[in-house]
Amino acid sequence: MQLNKDDALRAYRTMKTIRVFEDRVHVEFETGEVPGFVHLYAGEEAIATGVCLHLDDGDRIASTHRGHGHCIAKGCDVRGMMAEIYGRKPGLCAGKGGSMHIADLTKGMMGANGIVGGAPPLVCGAGLAAKTLGNGRVAVGFVGDGGSNQGTTHESLNLASVWQLPCIFVVENNGYAEATSVKYSTACDDLADRASGFNMPGIVVDGHDFFEVYEVAGEAIDRARAGGGPTLIECKVNRYYGHFEGDAQTYRAPDEVENVRQNRDCIDNFAARAVSAGLVQEDDLASIDRDISDLIEDAVNLAKAAPKPEAEDLLTDVYVSY
Amino acid sequence: MHKTSAVGILANPAAGRDIRRLVAQASVFPLAEKCNMISRLLSALGAGGVDEVYMMPDAGGISRRLLRMLQTPSLQPRPPVTFFDMPVVDGAADTLLAVERMVEAGVGAIVVLGGDGTHRLVAQVCGDTPLTALSTGTNNVFPALREATIAGLATALVATGQVTDDGATCSNKALRVSVNGTRDLALVDICVSTALWTGSKAVWRVDSLSQLFVAFAEADAVGLSSVAGLIRPVSRRDHAGVRLDLAPPGEAAMSVTAPIAPGLVVPVGVAAVHDLLPGERQTVCAPQGVIALDGEREIEFTDGDRVAVWLDDDGPRTIDVERVMARAAHSGLLTSTDQTLSNPLQKGDSTDAAEQG
Repeated sequence: MQLNKDDALRAYRTMKTIRVFEDRVHVEFETGEVPGFVHLYAGEEAIATGVCLHLDDGDRIASTHRGHGHCIAKGCDVRGMMAEIYGRKPGLCAGKGGSMHIADLTKGMMGANGIVGGAPPLVCGAGLAAKTLGNGRVAVGFVGDGGSNQGTTHESLNLASVWQLPCIFVVENNGYAEATSVKYSTACDDLADRASGFNMPGIVVDGHDFFEVYEVAGEAIDRARAGGGPTLIECKVNRYYGHFEGDAQTYRAPDEVENVRQNRDCIDNFAARAVSAGLVQEDDLASIDRDISDLIEDAVNLAKAAPKPEAEDLLTDVYVSY
Repeated sequence: MHKTSAVGILANPAAGRDIRRLVAQASVFPLAEKCNMISRLLSALGAGGVDEVYMMPDAGGISRRLLRMLQTPSLQPRPPVTFFDMPVVDGAADTLLAVERMVEAGVGAIVVLGGDGTHRLVAQVCGDTPLTALSTGTNNVFPALREATIAGLATALVATGQVTDDGATCSNKALRVSVNGTRDLALVDICVSTALWTGSKAVWRVDSLSQLFVAFAEADAVGLSSVAGLIRPVSRRDHAGVRLDLAPPGEAAMSVTAPIAPGLVVPVGVAAVHDLLPGERQTVCAPQGVIALDGEREIEFTDGDRVAVWLDDDGPRTIDVERVMARAAHSGLLTSTDQTLSNPLQKGDSTDAAEQG
């Protein structure tokens, strides 16, 4: 599964956009202007990017509470996302959803989700629709290691296998369900082991390695499109920030994140290897960096200047207006 | 003074979870079964007279499970197990460090539970310490799929010095690769691919393969070495190896239908076959690509990198389990006799005993 130059540049742009977006939200949250909670995806960019590069707008994904990276990788408008996080009217959900509910169905992004383990049942629905329509679409559900212990996830794995749905379940195992270590809370050693019980392939992937994620996800997605059924992919990874912004992270070793940042950062690793292989030039990457810096600055400025929803907006965009 | 006899057990917690479960039909080897194997090994090592066992701590769950298991009573006495106090990075460095510690501790043998890749790592640092090679990985050629109890008994007999003759252990060949002076090794095969990335490590797309170097190639093997095994078999004991120049099946003079992974039998094009003599440095034809060591893409190289491959006979020594157990039977190493009773091996005694009974 070879990447051409355009693919490589797109991968870099996506991963770097997620990183700069999240680093900026980290800073902006400190100002107190961002309502609610935010859960940042920095460090895990290779997963969303490596998976979503194989998808187009007709394919569906469903996300987690840590969903900014999935949104960006699936093509959601970055300015609309920032406005949504700020709770402003131009936001993708008109400023009424916030960080944990960003969605854009036109892009096949069924939503970040405040319910832990919320994505797998949704992608079963999307997968069943695709199978019924026979349109060759797939649905990808992201779930964390904590969410992988939820009954919703297990029921969905079972259903997807029984019905041979074109679904891919991506477990982003960052080692902690909020503050609880996966080693404490999970009876199996690799979450991918559970796939055997549901009669589907289970693969363990280094979630810091874009190339590995991209290759495994590509094979799983191609298989699902061809009618081969679901796959469970466990990506072992580290998140750079806390569970939420403001998390003191007393449960982590002092140098845990710094070691990963220095030695296993997915973007640094990707850039070094892609340049070394002659696929892209350093100038290409520098140009992308400048674009992204301008984009995020613009997104923050627009968000801050945008109006908040009014009282009369409360009863719009809901199933029932009372 | 009683001399203690120690054995190391190196179990790779990561083996058996790669993409071959998706693109082939490779089996899943759960940690629970690895721990069961270690439990059986410990029983056999204890029965064979081993006083002490050293193991690698890991982040994958093996040491955690074993510590729990060792706290429960066992019907079979087990030697005490010491996990090294060492940093755990959850990668190949753990294996290398643990094996170095085992060698420093003076173990008489190391039992390795893993695939070809794990054995490849162990071979880098085990020196003259003999290995008992047990398969737990995907498509393994170097280690054997064997009952751990028997492997444990044979290991104990060698580590305690009860079996000392030369035939108890065998020497192995090794393939060496150097990229700009940095060396690595393989125990079975080295394959050059024009793919650019190590990616998910496994090799299953044959169109991109350009060269295959094998230390040994058996006709009944699974994996890349099977390509050579089906046209020019070479045993582990043969002096030389084989080099194949590969090409897409439609462009090559010969096509071999080869089991390159479990459940994956595909045509592989062979353009040329050469002997691979020890010490003969081979150049890599592809200007850019990846080098797979024992079936796993490990090294990315680009135009300008200096790449060389060669065969030597300095691979690790391995315990010949069948031969050791045959020696044990012949010499009565696992036999004791009670002089007050008639010996059942003496002619006529068993009949007499039956008649008396």
